[in-house]
Amino acid sequence: MTDASTLIEGKVFLLGDDVNTDIHCSSKYLPGKGSDYVSTIAFDELSSGLAKKISVSGGILVAGKHFGINSSREQAVEVLRLMNVKCIIAESFGRQFFRNAINNGLPVVECDTSQFQNSDHLNIHMNLGIVENTSKNIKIQTQALPSEILKIIEVGGLIPFLKLHPNWEFVE
Amino acid sequence: MSSTICEKILAKHAGKKEVKPGEVVICDIDYAMVTDTRAANTIKMIGKMDETHLVFAKKTALVLDHYSPPPNLEAAAIHTSMRQFSAQHGSKIYDIGDGICHQVLPEGGHLTSGDLVVGTDTHSVTYGAFNAFGIGIEGTDVSAVMKSGRLWFRVPETIKVQLNGSLQAGVWAKDLTLHLLGHFGAEGLNYKAIEYYGSAVAAMEIDDRMTLCNHAAELGAKAALLEADQKTIDWLAAHGARLPSPVFADADAVYSEQLSIDVDQLIPQVARKHQIDDIVAAQDIEQKIQFALIGTCTNGRLDDIRQAAHILKGKKIAQGVRMIVTPASRQIYLAALREGLIEILTMAGASFEAAGCGTCVGITNHLVPGNGDTVISSANRNFKGRLSNSNADIWLGSAATVAASALTGKITDPRTVEGGLWRSGI
Repeated sequence: MTDASTLIEGKVFLLGDDVNTDIHCSSKYLPGKGSDYVSTIAFDELSSGLAKKISVSGGILVAGKHFGINSSREQAVEVLRLMNVKCIIAESFGRQFFRNAINNGLPVVECDTSQFQNSDHLNIHMNLGIVENTSKNIKIQTQALPSEILKIIEVGGLIPFLKLHPNWEFVE
Repeated sequence: MSSTICEKILAKHAGKKEVKPGEVVICDIDYAMVTDTRAANTIKMIGKMDETHLVFAKKTALVLDHYSPPPNLEAAAIHTSMRQFSAQHGSKIYDIGDGICHQVLPEGGHLTSGDLVVGTDTHSVTYGAFNAFGIGIEGTDVSAVMKSGRLWFRVPETIKVQLNGSLQAGVWAKDLTLHLLGHFGAEGLNYKAIEYYGSAVAAMEIDDRMTLCNHAAELGAKAALLEADQKTIDWLAAHGARLPSPVFADADAVYSEQLSIDVDQLIPQVARKHQIDDIVAAQDIEQKIQFALIGTCTNGRLDDIRQAAHILKGKKIAQGVRMIVTPASRQIYLAALREGLIEILTMAGASFEAAGCGTCVGITNHLVPGNGDTVISSANRNFKGRLSNSNADIWLGSAATVAASALTGKITDPRTVEGGLWRSGI
Protein backbone atom coordinates (compact mmCIF):
# COMPACT_ATOMS: atom_id res chain seq x y z
CA MET A 1 0.00 0.00 0.00
CA THR A 2 1.49 3.33 -1.00
CA ASP A 3 1.26 6.48 1.02
CA ALA A 4 -0.43 8.32 -1.84
CA SER A 5 -3.29 5.84 -1.97
CA THR A 6 -4.15 6.54 1.63
CA LEU A 7 -3.57 10.28 1.81
CA ILE A 8 -6.73 12.26 2.40
CA GLU A 9 -6.78 16.05 2.14
CA GLY A 10 -9.57 18.44 2.98
CA LYS A 11 -11.19 21.17 4.97
CA VAL A 12 -12.58 20.72 8.49
CA PHE A 13 -16.33 20.85 9.20
CA LEU A 14 -16.84 20.76 12.95
CA LEU A 15 -19.46 18.95 15.03
CA GLY A 16 -19.60 18.37 18.80
CA ASP A 17 -19.87 15.37 21.13
CA ASP A 18 -22.46 12.59 21.12
CA VAL A 19 -23.71 13.08 17.56
CA ASN A 20 -26.51 10.56 17.05
CA THR A 21 -26.50 9.64 13.36
CA ASP A 22 -29.89 7.92 13.65
CA ILE A 23 -31.45 11.28 14.51
CA HIS A 24 -29.27 13.61 12.44
CA CYS A 25 -28.21 11.51 9.46
CA SER A 26 -30.82 8.87 8.58
CA SER A 27 -34.48 8.41 7.65
CA LYS A 28 -35.26 6.63 10.91
CA TYR A 29 -37.43 9.53 12.01
CA LEU A 30 -38.25 10.68 8.46
CA PRO A 31 -40.34 7.79 7.15
CA GLY A 32 -40.63 7.74 3.38
CA LYS A 33 -37.62 10.07 2.82
CA GLY A 34 -34.60 8.67 1.01
CA SER A 35 -30.86 9.19 1.46
CA ASP A 36 -30.79 11.85 -1.29
CA TYR A 37 -33.13 14.01 0.76
CA VAL A 38 -31.37 13.34 4.07
CA SER A 39 -28.04 14.30 2.48
CA THR A 40 -29.37 17.84 1.97
CA ILE A 41 -30.51 18.41 5.58
CA ALA A 42 -28.26 16.14 7.66
CA PHE A 43 -26.90 17.68 10.90
CA ASP A 44 -28.92 20.88 10.30
CA GLU A 45 -29.97 20.99 13.95
CA LEU A 46 -26.33 20.85 15.05
CA SER A 47 -24.73 23.05 12.40
CA SER A 48 -27.12 24.92 10.15
CA GLY A 49 -26.55 24.37 6.43
CA LEU A 50 -23.62 21.99 7.02
CA ALA A 51 -24.78 19.44 4.43
CA LYS A 52 -24.96 22.04 1.69
CA LYS A 53 -21.64 23.67 2.61
CA ILE A 54 -19.74 20.40 2.73
CA SER A 55 -21.21 19.03 -0.48
CA VAL A 56 -19.79 21.90 -2.58
CA SER A 57 -16.17 20.81 -2.46
CA GLY A 58 -16.13 17.91 -0.02
CA GLY A 59 -14.53 17.89 3.36
CA ILE A 60 -13.57 16.18 6.56
CA LEU A 61 -16.11 15.88 9.34
CA VAL A 62 -14.49 16.46 12.75
CA ALA A 63 -16.37 15.55 15.93
CA GLY A 64 -15.81 14.99 19.63
CA LYS A 65 -16.73 11.92 21.65
CA HIS A 66 -19.05 9.08 20.55
CA PHE A 67 -19.78 10.07 16.97
CA GLY A 68 -22.65 7.83 15.83
CA ILE A 69 -23.70 6.52 19.26
CA ASN A 70 -26.46 3.96 19.90
CA SER A 71 -27.88 1.72 17.19
CA SER A 72 -26.35 3.59 14.30
CA ARG A 73 -28.07 2.92 10.98
CA GLU A 74 -25.80 1.95 8.11
CA GLN A 75 -27.70 4.44 5.96
CA ALA A 76 -25.78 7.24 7.72
CA VAL A 77 -22.63 6.25 5.84
CA GLU A 78 -24.44 6.32 2.50
CA VAL A 79 -25.76 9.79 3.37
CA LEU A 80 -22.27 11.00 4.37
CA ARG A 81 -20.92 9.78 1.02
CA LEU A 82 -23.68 11.63 -0.83
CA MET A 83 -22.70 14.73 1.18
CA ASN A 84 -19.15 14.36 -0.15
CA VAL A 85 -17.58 13.58 3.24
CA LYS A 86 -14.07 12.18 2.63
CA CYS A 87 -13.23 11.11 6.16
CA ILE A 88 -14.48 11.45 9.73
CA ILE A 89 -12.19 12.25 12.62
CA ALA A 90 -13.54 11.98 16.15
CA GLU A 91 -12.23 11.46 19.65
CA SER A 92 -14.26 8.24 19.71
CA PHE A 93 -17.00 6.59 17.69
CA GLY A 94 -20.07 4.59 18.57
CA ARG A 95 -19.04 0.99 17.99
CA GLN A 96 -21.63 0.23 15.31
CA PHE A 97 -20.98 3.42 13.38
CA PHE A 98 -17.27 2.61 13.32
CA ARG A 99 -18.01 -0.80 11.77
CA ASN A 100 -20.47 0.68 9.31
CA ALA A 101 -17.95 3.26 8.10
CA ILE A 102 -15.26 0.62 7.52
CA ASN A 103 -17.72 -1.79 5.89
CA ASN A 104 -18.71 0.93 3.44
CA GLY A 105 -15.24 2.23 2.68
CA LEU A 106 -15.48 5.54 4.56
CA PRO A 107 -12.18 6.34 6.35
CA VAL A 108 -12.46 6.94 10.10
CA VAL A 109 -9.74 8.17 12.45
CA GLU A 110 -9.72 8.39 16.23
CA CYS A 111 -7.80 11.47 17.28
CA ASP A 112 -7.80 14.32 19.81
CA THR A 113 -9.79 16.96 17.94
CA SER A 114 -9.89 19.60 20.68
CA GLN A 115 -7.67 22.08 18.82
CA PHE A 116 -9.31 21.78 15.42
CA GLN A 117 -11.47 24.59 14.03
CA ASN A 118 -13.78 25.01 11.10
CA SER A 119 -11.97 25.42 7.77
CA ASP A 120 -8.60 24.15 9.05
CA HIS A 121 -6.81 22.21 6.31
CA LEU A 122 -5.90 18.60 7.09
CA ASN A 123 -3.64 15.97 5.53
CA ILE A 124 -4.46 12.51 6.83
CA HIS A 125 -2.07 9.64 6.22
CA MET A 126 -4.31 6.65 6.90
CA ASN A 127 -1.64 3.94 6.78
CA LEU A 128 0.71 5.85 9.10
CA GLY A 129 -2.02 7.07 11.44
CA ILE A 130 -0.77 10.66 11.08
CA VAL A 131 -3.14 13.64 11.09
CA GLU A 132 -1.53 16.92 10.00
CA ASN A 133 -3.36 20.19 10.57
CA THR A 134 -1.45 22.48 8.21
CA SER A 135 -3.47 25.55 9.25
CA LYS A 136 -2.43 25.12 12.89
CA ASN A 137 0.92 23.51 12.17
CA ILE A 138 0.02 20.52 14.33
CA LYS A 139 0.99 16.93 13.59
CA ILE A 140 -0.73 14.19 15.59
CA GLN A 141 0.39 10.58 15.65
CA THR A 142 -2.63 8.32 16.22
CA GLN A 143 -2.90 4.56 16.41
CA ALA A 144 -3.06 3.54 12.74
CA LEU A 145 -5.90 1.18 11.86
CA PRO A 146 -4.83 -2.46 11.49
CA SER A 147 -3.76 -3.34 7.94
CA GLU A 148 -6.81 -5.60 7.42
CA ILE A 149 -9.15 -2.70 8.15
CA LEU A 150 -7.21 -0.38 5.85
CA LYS A 151 -7.50 -2.98 3.11
CA ILE A 152 -11.29 -3.15 3.45
CA ILE A 153 -11.52 0.67 3.36
CA GLU A 154 -9.13 0.89 0.41
CA VAL A 155 -11.22 -1.35 -1.84
CA GLY A 156 -14.43 0.52 -0.96
CA GLY A 157 -15.89 -1.64 1.79
CA LEU A 158 -16.66 -5.18 2.85
CA ILE A 159 -18.84 -6.22 -0.10
CA PRO A 160 -16.25 -5.15 -2.73
CA PHE A 161 -13.57 -6.76 -0.56
CA LEU A 162 -15.39 -10.11 -0.49
CA LYS A 163 -15.90 -9.97 -4.26
CA LEU A 164 -12.11 -9.67 -4.62
CA HIS A 165 -11.27 -12.03 -1.75
CA PRO A 166 -14.14 -14.48 -1.22
CA ASN A 167 -12.15 -16.41 1.37
CA TRP A 168 -11.12 -13.33 3.34
CA GLU A 169 -7.52 -13.40 2.09
CA PHE A 170 -5.57 -10.43 3.46
CA VAL A 171 -2.47 -10.78 1.32
CA GLU A 172 -0.32 -7.68 1.22
CA MET B 1 -2.00 -18.56 28.12
CA SER B 2 -3.62 -15.66 29.87
CA SER B 3 -6.91 -14.95 28.14
CA THR B 4 -10.34 -13.66 29.09
CA ILE B 5 -13.56 -15.47 28.11
CA CYS B 6 -14.02 -12.94 25.33
CA GLU B 7 -10.54 -13.51 23.91
CA LYS B 8 -10.89 -17.28 24.13
CA ILE B 9 -14.19 -17.36 22.24
CA LEU B 10 -12.81 -15.12 19.50
CA ALA B 11 -9.56 -17.12 19.28
CA LYS B 12 -11.43 -20.40 19.02
CA HIS B 13 -13.61 -19.06 16.20
CA ALA B 14 -10.61 -17.55 14.40
CA GLY B 15 -8.72 -20.86 14.53
CA LYS B 16 -5.97 -19.29 16.66
CA LYS B 17 -4.33 -20.29 19.91
CA GLU B 18 -4.78 -16.86 21.37
CA VAL B 19 -5.69 -13.32 20.39
CA LYS B 20 -4.80 -9.95 21.88
CA PRO B 21 -6.81 -6.70 22.22
CA GLY B 22 -6.52 -4.52 19.12
CA GLU B 23 -5.89 -7.45 16.79
CA VAL B 24 -8.27 -7.97 13.85
CA VAL B 25 -9.52 -11.53 13.47
CA ILE B 26 -11.76 -13.28 10.97
CA CYS B 27 -14.12 -15.55 12.88
CA ASP B 28 -16.47 -18.39 12.00
CA ILE B 29 -19.98 -17.54 13.15
CA ASP B 30 -22.28 -20.05 14.86
CA TYR B 31 -25.59 -18.32 14.27
CA ALA B 32 -26.91 -15.04 12.85
CA MET B 33 -30.10 -13.04 13.24
CA VAL B 34 -31.80 -10.25 11.28
CA THR B 35 -34.65 -8.16 12.71
CA ASP B 36 -37.33 -6.40 10.71
CA THR B 37 -35.81 -2.95 11.32
CA ARG B 38 -32.65 -3.92 9.42
CA ALA B 39 -34.13 -6.46 7.00
CA ALA B 40 -34.67 -4.00 4.16
CA ASN B 41 -31.04 -2.82 4.39
CA THR B 42 -29.78 -6.40 4.69
CA ILE B 43 -31.70 -7.55 1.61
CA LYS B 44 -30.38 -4.47 -0.26
CA MET B 45 -26.78 -5.30 0.71
CA ILE B 46 -27.22 -8.96 -0.24
CA GLY B 47 -28.43 -7.73 -3.64
CA LYS B 48 -25.15 -5.82 -4.05
CA MET B 49 -23.15 -9.02 -3.54
CA ASP B 50 -24.54 -10.73 -6.69
CA GLU B 51 -24.60 -13.94 -4.73
CA THR B 52 -27.47 -16.35 -5.23
CA HIS B 53 -26.20 -19.11 -2.96
CA LEU B 54 -26.06 -17.91 0.65
CA VAL B 55 -24.30 -20.70 2.50
CA PHE B 56 -25.20 -19.36 5.94
CA ALA B 57 -28.84 -18.40 5.33
CA LYS B 58 -30.06 -21.61 6.98
CA LYS B 59 -28.18 -20.63 10.15
CA THR B 60 -29.76 -17.18 10.14
CA ALA B 61 -33.08 -16.39 11.81
CA LEU B 62 -35.32 -13.60 10.54
CA VAL B 63 -37.32 -12.06 13.39
CA LEU B 64 -40.40 -9.87 12.89
CA ASP B 65 -40.41 -8.17 16.29
CA HIS B 66 -40.01 -4.39 16.15
CA TYR B 67 -43.13 -3.99 14.03
CA SER B 68 -45.20 -6.66 15.75
CA PRO B 69 -47.89 -6.25 14.54
CA PRO B 70 -46.98 -3.91 11.66
CA PRO B 71 -48.30 -0.38 12.23
CA ASN B 72 -48.39 0.61 8.56
CA LEU B 73 -48.00 -0.57 4.99
CA GLU B 74 -44.23 0.07 4.87
CA ALA B 75 -43.65 -2.24 7.84
CA ALA B 76 -46.03 -4.83 6.43
CA ALA B 77 -44.09 -4.73 3.13
CA ILE B 78 -40.82 -5.39 4.96
CA HIS B 79 -42.44 -8.37 6.66
CA THR B 80 -43.62 -9.71 3.31
CA SER B 81 -40.09 -9.45 1.90
CA MET B 82 -38.71 -11.30 4.95
CA ARG B 83 -41.19 -14.13 4.49
CA GLN B 84 -40.22 -14.35 0.82
CA PHE B 85 -36.51 -14.35 1.70
CA SER B 86 -37.08 -17.11 4.24
CA ALA B 87 -38.98 -19.25 1.70
CA GLN B 88 -36.25 -18.72 -0.91
CA HIS B 89 -33.17 -19.27 1.28
CA GLY B 90 -34.43 -21.54 4.05
CA SER B 91 -33.86 -19.09 6.90
CA LYS B 92 -35.82 -19.75 10.08
CA ILE B 93 -38.54 -17.15 10.50
CA TYR B 94 -40.12 -15.90 13.71
CA ASP B 95 -43.29 -14.13 12.67
CA ILE B 96 -45.25 -11.40 14.46
CA GLY B 97 -46.23 -12.36 17.98
CA ASP B 98 -43.51 -15.01 18.25
CA GLY B 99 -41.34 -12.67 20.26
CA ILE B 100 -38.28 -10.46 20.49
CA CYS B 101 -35.12 -11.64 18.71
CA HIS B 102 -33.07 -11.83 21.92
CA GLN B 103 -35.69 -14.04 23.56
CA VAL B 104 -36.55 -16.34 20.65
CA LEU B 105 -32.92 -17.09 19.75
CA PRO B 106 -32.07 -18.72 23.10
CA GLU B 107 -35.61 -20.13 23.55
CA GLY B 108 -35.41 -21.67 20.07
CA GLY B 109 -32.20 -23.48 20.98
CA HIS B 110 -30.19 -21.55 18.38
CA LEU B 111 -27.22 -20.77 20.63
CA THR B 112 -25.17 -22.43 23.34
CA SER B 113 -22.22 -21.69 25.67
CA GLY B 114 -19.01 -20.88 23.82
CA ASP B 115 -20.83 -19.70 20.66
CA LEU B 116 -20.21 -16.58 18.61
CA VAL B 117 -23.56 -15.12 17.55
CA VAL B 118 -24.25 -11.97 15.54
CA GLY B 119 -27.51 -10.05 15.21
CA THR B 120 -28.67 -6.81 13.61
CA ASP B 121 -29.57 -5.28 16.95
CA THR B 122 -27.38 -3.65 19.58
CA HIS B 123 -28.90 -5.76 22.36
CA SER B 124 -27.42 -8.95 20.90
CA VAL B 125 -25.05 -8.70 23.88
CA THR B 126 -27.85 -10.48 25.80
CA TYR B 127 -26.49 -13.90 24.70
CA GLY B 128 -23.57 -13.39 27.06
CA ALA B 129 -25.96 -14.59 29.79
CA PHE B 130 -25.41 -18.06 28.28
CA ASN B 131 -21.62 -17.67 28.02
CA ALA B 132 -22.03 -16.93 24.30
CA PHE B 133 -20.34 -13.96 22.60
CA GLY B 134 -23.28 -11.99 21.21
CA ILE B 135 -22.62 -8.89 19.17
CA GLY B 136 -24.72 -6.32 17.32
CA ILE B 137 -23.95 -5.72 13.64
CA GLU B 138 -25.53 -4.12 10.55
CA GLY B 139 -26.75 -5.17 7.11
CA THR B 140 -23.39 -5.34 5.34
CA ASP B 141 -21.96 -7.44 8.16
CA VAL B 142 -24.79 -9.94 8.14
CA SER B 143 -24.71 -10.11 4.33
CA ALA B 144 -21.03 -11.07 4.55
CA VAL B 145 -21.94 -13.69 7.15
CA MET B 146 -24.71 -15.17 5.00
CA LYS B 147 -22.31 -15.38 2.06
CA SER B 148 -19.22 -16.69 3.87
CA GLY B 149 -20.21 -17.76 7.39
CA ARG B 150 -17.47 -15.47 8.69
CA LEU B 151 -16.93 -11.88 9.85
CA TRP B 152 -14.12 -9.57 10.95
CA PHE B 153 -13.78 -8.37 14.54
CA ARG B 154 -11.36 -6.20 16.38
CA VAL B 155 -10.53 -7.96 19.65
CA PRO B 156 -11.78 -5.70 22.47
CA GLU B 157 -10.16 -5.06 25.80
CA THR B 158 -12.02 -6.83 28.60
CA ILE B 159 -13.11 -5.31 31.91
CA LYS B 160 -13.88 -7.54 34.89
CA VAL B 161 -16.75 -6.60 37.19
CA GLN B 162 -17.10 -8.59 40.40
CA LEU B 163 -20.59 -8.39 41.94
CA ASN B 164 -20.28 -9.50 45.56
CA GLY B 165 -22.98 -10.16 48.14
CA SER B 166 -26.62 -10.70 47.24
CA LEU B 167 -29.46 -8.49 46.05
CA GLN B 168 -32.10 -7.69 48.65
CA ALA B 169 -35.70 -8.78 48.09
CA GLY B 170 -37.37 -6.26 45.77
CA VAL B 171 -34.08 -5.42 44.08
CA TRP B 172 -33.42 -6.89 40.64
CA ALA B 173 -30.73 -7.07 37.96
CA LYS B 174 -32.39 -4.01 36.41
CA ASP B 175 -31.56 -1.95 39.50
CA LEU B 176 -28.01 -3.22 39.40
CA THR B 177 -27.51 -2.36 35.73
CA LEU B 178 -29.01 1.10 36.22
CA HIS B 179 -26.54 1.55 39.07
CA LEU B 180 -23.71 0.46 36.73
CA LEU B 181 -24.90 2.96 34.12
CA GLY B 182 -24.71 5.67 36.74
CA HIS B 183 -21.20 4.51 37.58
CA PHE B 184 -19.70 4.14 34.09
CA GLY B 185 -21.97 6.57 32.21
CA ALA B 186 -23.72 5.91 28.90
CA GLU B 187 -21.19 4.57 26.37
CA GLY B 188 -18.70 4.52 29.25
CA LEU B 189 -17.43 1.09 28.17
CA ASN B 190 -17.39 1.81 24.43
CA TYR B 191 -15.64 -0.95 22.39
CA LYS B 192 -14.98 -3.02 25.53
CA ALA B 193 -16.16 -6.45 26.60
CA ILE B 194 -17.44 -6.90 30.15
CA GLU B 195 -17.17 -10.08 32.20
CA TYR B 196 -19.41 -10.26 35.26
CA TYR B 197 -18.51 -12.52 38.17
CA GLY B 198 -19.47 -12.98 41.80
CA SER B 199 -22.04 -14.38 44.17
CA ALA B 200 -24.73 -11.92 43.05
CA VAL B 201 -24.49 -13.26 39.49
CA ALA B 202 -24.47 -16.88 40.64
CA ALA B 203 -27.66 -16.27 42.63
CA MET B 204 -29.52 -14.73 39.69
CA GLU B 205 -32.05 -16.71 37.70
CA ILE B 206 -31.56 -16.83 33.92
CA ASP B 207 -34.16 -14.09 33.37
CA ASP B 208 -32.19 -11.64 35.52
CA ARG B 209 -28.86 -12.70 34.01
CA MET B 210 -30.26 -11.80 30.59
CA THR B 211 -31.21 -8.34 31.92
CA LEU B 212 -27.69 -7.87 33.28
CA CYS B 213 -26.06 -8.66 29.93
CA ASN B 214 -28.72 -6.90 27.83
CA HIS B 215 -28.17 -3.50 29.44
CA ALA B 216 -24.46 -3.62 28.57
CA ALA B 217 -25.53 -2.17 25.21
CA GLU B 218 -26.25 1.17 26.92
CA LEU B 219 -22.75 1.04 28.39
CA GLY B 220 -21.52 0.89 24.79
CA ALA B 221 -20.02 -2.55 25.36
CA LYS B 222 -19.19 -4.89 22.50
CA ALA B 223 -20.09 -7.94 24.57
CA ALA B 224 -21.09 -8.87 28.14
CA LEU B 225 -20.21 -12.35 29.27
CA LEU B 226 -21.02 -14.60 32.22
CA GLU B 227 -19.54 -17.97 33.10
CA ALA B 228 -21.79 -20.94 32.42
CA ASP B 229 -22.92 -22.84 35.53
CA GLN B 230 -25.39 -25.64 36.15
CA LYS B 231 -28.34 -23.22 35.82
CA THR B 232 -27.10 -22.20 32.36
CA ILE B 233 -26.52 -25.76 31.23
CA ASP B 234 -29.92 -26.95 32.49
CA TRP B 235 -31.69 -24.02 30.83
CA LEU B 236 -29.95 -24.62 27.49
CA ALA B 237 -30.76 -28.34 27.63
CA ALA B 238 -34.41 -27.59 28.41
CA HIS B 239 -34.56 -25.41 25.30
CA GLY B 240 -32.97 -27.87 22.90
CA ALA B 241 -29.65 -26.07 22.46
CA ARG B 242 -26.57 -27.84 21.08
CA LEU B 243 -24.25 -29.28 23.75
CA PRO B 244 -22.55 -26.37 25.51
CA SER B 245 -18.78 -25.79 25.40
CA PRO B 246 -18.40 -23.51 28.43
CA VAL B 247 -15.47 -21.10 28.23
CA PHE B 248 -13.69 -19.87 31.36
CA ALA B 249 -11.07 -17.16 31.70
CA ASP B 250 -7.52 -18.14 32.62
CA ALA B 251 -6.45 -17.44 36.20
CA ASP B 252 -3.90 -14.92 34.90
CA ALA B 253 -6.19 -13.34 32.27
CA VAL B 254 -5.33 -9.71 31.55
CA TYR B 255 -8.16 -7.22 32.12
CA SER B 256 -7.97 -3.55 31.21
CA GLU B 257 -9.79 -2.70 34.42
CA GLN B 258 -11.12 -4.61 37.44
CA LEU B 259 -13.93 -3.46 39.63
CA SER B 260 -15.60 -4.93 42.68
CA ILE B 261 -19.08 -3.89 43.76
CA ASP B 262 -20.87 -4.92 46.93
CA VAL B 263 -24.56 -5.23 46.04
CA ASP B 264 -25.98 -5.91 49.53
CA GLN B 265 -26.97 -2.30 50.14
CA LEU B 266 -28.35 -1.60 46.67
CA ILE B 267 -31.95 -0.37 46.63
CA PRO B 268 -34.37 0.05 43.67
CA GLN B 269 -33.02 2.54 41.12
CA VAL B 270 -34.62 4.56 38.33
CA ALA B 271 -33.20 6.42 35.34
CA ARG B 272 -34.63 9.91 35.19
CA LYS B 273 -36.29 11.18 32.02
CA HIS B 274 -34.26 11.42 28.79
CA GLN B 275 -30.98 10.15 30.21
CA ILE B 276 -30.05 6.55 30.74
CA ASP B 277 -27.18 7.38 33.09
CA ASP B 278 -29.01 9.92 35.28
CA ILE B 279 -29.73 7.45 38.08
CA VAL B 280 -31.52 8.02 41.39
CA ALA B 281 -33.07 5.80 44.07
CA ALA B 282 -36.80 5.23 43.47
CA GLN B 283 -37.52 6.12 47.11
CA ASP B 284 -36.06 9.61 46.64
CA ILE B 285 -38.37 10.59 43.81
CA GLU B 286 -41.70 12.42 43.92
CA GLN B 287 -43.02 11.99 40.40
CA LYS B 288 -46.55 11.27 39.17
CA ILE B 289 -46.90 8.90 36.21
CA GLN B 290 -49.64 8.35 33.63
CA PHE B 291 -48.32 5.41 31.60
CA ALA B 292 -46.70 2.19 32.87
CA LEU B 293 -45.00 -0.25 30.53
CA ILE B 294 -43.61 -3.73 31.16
CA GLY B 295 -41.92 -5.57 28.35
CA THR B 296 -38.92 -5.37 25.95
CA CYS B 297 -35.78 -7.50 25.61
CA THR B 298 -34.54 -6.04 28.89
CA ASN B 299 -37.47 -6.84 31.17
CA GLY B 300 -40.35 -8.62 29.45
CA ARG B 301 -39.64 -12.09 30.77
CA LEU B 302 -41.71 -14.38 33.01
CA ASP B 303 -40.05 -13.22 36.25
CA ASP B 304 -40.82 -9.61 35.28
CA ILE B 305 -44.49 -10.40 34.72
CA ARG B 306 -44.51 -12.38 37.98
CA GLN B 307 -43.11 -9.36 39.84
CA ALA B 308 -45.98 -7.25 38.53
CA ALA B 309 -48.60 -9.90 39.33
CA HIS B 310 -47.39 -10.26 42.92
CA ILE B 311 -47.78 -6.51 43.40
CA LEU B 312 -51.09 -6.07 41.57
CA LYS B 313 -52.94 -9.23 42.61
CA GLY B 314 -56.43 -8.28 43.78
CA LYS B 315 -55.63 -4.56 43.31
CA LYS B 316 -56.43 -1.88 40.74
CA ILE B 317 -53.91 0.42 39.12
CA ALA B 318 -54.31 4.07 40.12
CA GLN B 319 -56.95 6.20 38.46
CA GLY B 320 -55.57 8.05 35.46
CA VAL B 321 -52.83 5.49 34.82
CA ARG B 322 -52.72 3.21 31.75
CA MET B 323 -50.64 0.06 31.87
CA ILE B 324 -49.50 -2.15 29.02
CA VAL B 325 -47.56 -5.40 29.12
CA THR B 326 -45.82 -6.99 26.13
CA PRO B 327 -44.33 -10.41 26.96
CA ALA B 328 -40.91 -10.93 25.37
CA SER B 329 -42.09 -14.01 23.50
CA ARG B 330 -45.05 -16.24 22.71
CA GLN B 331 -43.61 -18.87 25.08
CA ILE B 332 -43.56 -16.30 27.89
CA TYR B 333 -47.06 -15.12 26.99
CA LEU B 334 -48.29 -18.70 27.20
CA ALA B 335 -46.47 -19.39 30.48
CA ALA B 336 -47.94 -16.21 31.99
CA LEU B 337 -51.38 -17.31 30.79
CA ARG B 338 -51.02 -20.74 32.34
CA GLU B 339 -49.83 -19.28 35.67
CA GLY B 340 -52.84 -17.00 35.79
CA LEU B 341 -50.68 -13.86 35.64
CA ILE B 342 -52.50 -12.43 32.64
CA GLU B 343 -55.82 -12.71 34.46
CA ILE B 344 -54.39 -11.02 37.56
CA LEU B 345 -52.90 -8.13 35.61
CA THR B 346 -55.87 -7.72 33.28
CA MET B 347 -58.22 -7.53 36.28
CA ALA B 348 -55.91 -4.93 37.82
CA GLY B 349 -56.39 -2.76 34.71
CA ALA B 350 -53.40 -3.66 32.52
CA SER B 351 -53.68 -4.54 28.83
CA PHE B 352 -51.60 -7.15 27.04
CA GLU B 353 -50.24 -6.62 23.54
CA ALA B 354 -48.57 -9.03 21.15
CA ALA B 355 -45.13 -10.29 22.11
CA GLY B 356 -42.53 -8.04 20.50
CA CYS B 357 -40.70 -4.73 20.87
CA GLY B 358 -43.82 -2.56 21.08
CA THR B 359 -43.24 -1.14 24.57
CA CYS B 360 -39.73 -0.07 23.58
CA VAL B 361 -40.05 1.52 20.15
CA GLY B 362 -43.65 2.66 20.60
CA ILE B 363 -44.69 2.43 16.99
CA THR B 364 -47.29 -0.29 17.21
CA ASN B 365 -50.84 -0.12 18.49
CA HIS B 366 -51.68 2.49 21.10
CA LEU B 367 -48.27 2.52 22.72
CA VAL B 368 -47.51 6.15 21.95
CA PRO B 369 -47.72 8.28 25.12
CA GLY B 370 -49.71 11.52 25.07
CA ASN B 371 -48.15 14.98 25.14
CA GLY B 372 -46.98 15.81 28.64
CA ASP B 373 -47.28 12.21 29.85
CA THR B 374 -44.74 10.74 32.22
CA VAL B 375 -43.97 7.12 31.47
CA ILE B 376 -42.39 4.56 33.78
CA SER B 377 -41.02 1.68 31.72
CA SER B 378 -38.95 -1.47 32.13
CA ALA B 379 -37.28 -0.79 28.74
CA ASN B 380 -33.60 0.00 28.17
CA ARG B 381 -33.74 3.37 26.42
CA ASN B 382 -35.41 6.60 27.46
CA PHE B 383 -33.98 9.30 25.22
CA LYS B 384 -36.30 12.10 24.21
CA GLY B 385 -38.51 10.97 21.34
CA ARG B 386 -38.33 7.27 22.16
CA LEU B 387 -41.88 5.84 22.02
CA SER B 388 -42.46 8.24 19.12
CA ASN B 389 -43.36 11.32 21.17
CA SER B 390 -40.73 13.88 22.14
CA ASN B 391 -43.31 15.63 24.34
CA ALA B 392 -43.42 12.73 26.79
CA ASP B 393 -40.92 11.91 29.54
CA ILE B 394 -39.71 8.34 29.95
CA TRP B 395 -38.30 7.04 33.24
CA LEU B 396 -36.88 3.53 33.57
CA GLY B 397 -37.04 1.00 36.38
CA SER B 398 -37.52 -2.69 37.14
CA ALA B 399 -40.81 -4.43 36.38
CA ALA B 400 -41.51 -4.38 40.13
CA THR B 401 -40.93 -0.60 40.22
CA VAL B 402 -43.21 -0.14 37.19
CA ALA B 403 -45.98 -2.22 38.80
CA ALA B 404 -45.64 -0.45 42.18
CA SER B 405 -45.77 2.91 40.38
CA ALA B 406 -48.86 1.89 38.39
CA LEU B 407 -50.52 0.95 41.67
CA THR B 408 -49.82 4.27 43.41
CA GLY B 409 -49.79 6.60 40.39
CA LYS B 410 -46.30 7.86 41.19
CA ILE B 411 -42.79 6.47 41.03
CA THR B 412 -42.65 4.01 43.91
CA ASP B 413 -40.02 1.81 45.54
CA PRO B 414 -41.56 -1.69 45.17
CA ARG B 415 -40.32 -2.70 48.63
CA THR B 416 -42.93 -0.37 50.13
CA VAL B 417 -45.96 -2.13 48.61
CA GLU B 418 -47.51 -5.53 49.28
CA GLY B 419 -45.99 -8.25 47.08
CA GLY B 420 -42.97 -6.08 46.30
CA LEU B 421 -40.61 -8.30 48.25
CA TRP B 422 -41.30 -11.40 46.15
CA ARG B 423 -38.16 -13.25 45.07
CA SER B 424 -37.72 -15.61 42.19
CA GLY B 425 -36.29 -19.12 42.42
CA ILE B 426 -36.88 -19.51 46.16
